Amino acid sequence: MNNLLSSDQRDALQELMNIAMGQAANAMAQLIEVRIILSIPKITAVTPEQLSGVLAEPAVWLTRQSFSGALRGEVLSLQVKAGVEAIAGYLDFGLPLTDKSTEAAVLEVANVLAAACLQGFTSQLELPTRLAAPELYRPKASTVDAAWAITLLMEVEFTLTDTPFDARVVICLDPESVQHLISRLNTMLED
Amino acid sequence: MPIAVTIADDSMMSRKNVRKAIPTHWQAEITEATNGQEALDAVFAGKAEVLFLDLTMPVLDGYDVLRALQQRHHKCAVIVISADIQPQAQTLVRSLGAFAFLRKPLEPQQLHEALAGLGLL
Repeated sequence: MNNLLSSDQRDALQELMNIAMGQAANAMAQLIEVRIILSIPKITAVTPEQLSGVLAEPAVWLTRQSFSGALRGEVLSLQVKAGVEAIAGYLDFGLPLTDKSTEAAVLEVANVLAAACLQGFTSQLELPTRLAAPELYRPKASTVDAAWAITLLMEVEFTLTDTPFDARVVICLDPESVQHLISRLNTMLED
Repeated sequence: MPIAVTIADDSMMSRKNVRKAIPTHWQAEITEATNGQEALDAVFAGKAEVLFLDLTMPVLDGYDVLRALQQRHHKCAVIVISADIQPQAQTLVRSLGAFAFLRKPLEPQQLHEALAGLGLL
């Protein structure tokens, strides 16, 4: 599965993700006025079982936002539950959080990070997409969407120093979009 | 006499972009480093009068490199080229001695201005 990309394609994709995630971190840092620490992007082709494993972590809030256009797929955010109150405080939510305000804070973080990630990613590729509103996602055990039979999983982690906030953003592409992406990467590499 | 330049970035595409942005008339002897440790090794081997430095790298990141250079009072000119464009990151790298902070994707004009600011163009 992980032979889906050549080393040059993987390198180019990782750098595009790096730039996109940097823009997302900047968008969030402007809101909370605290520096966000970014991981090196990780890119893997995953099986449905592996994706289920990623989504089945009990200690995280999971959100999904579908996108369509020149690329189709979903942006997921995985936010460690223990860190939501800390980030909500920075976002001026009243503390302690209620169930309703927890959900609002999780969706707010998802919207800022995922929107900036996707925008940064697709604008570099010149492949415009439209992003739907985020929703909380509670996948049933061991099931994933059929469209994700082959999924390119592009993941980065955002953390804050001195708080338990930890969020990962994952972009999943459907098989047709993966081919479209590879073709675009090849064009970029030829430049 | 050529100027010793090291480009430190874990991305091959990014290193290539920096190479392409270096002015063609500038006589540079270019070394590439794929992580922070390789960057430091290049600096201490005299291969970096100018160091183009990414921040998010394996082994040692760009901040670690800047701290190591600061501890040794090393005089190489560091130009950070990073996707991490948070204001706090820019302030931090400047406090650690970086001469300039350029954002990715790199525009050649930005790089030329930074080199001019160093009196190297």
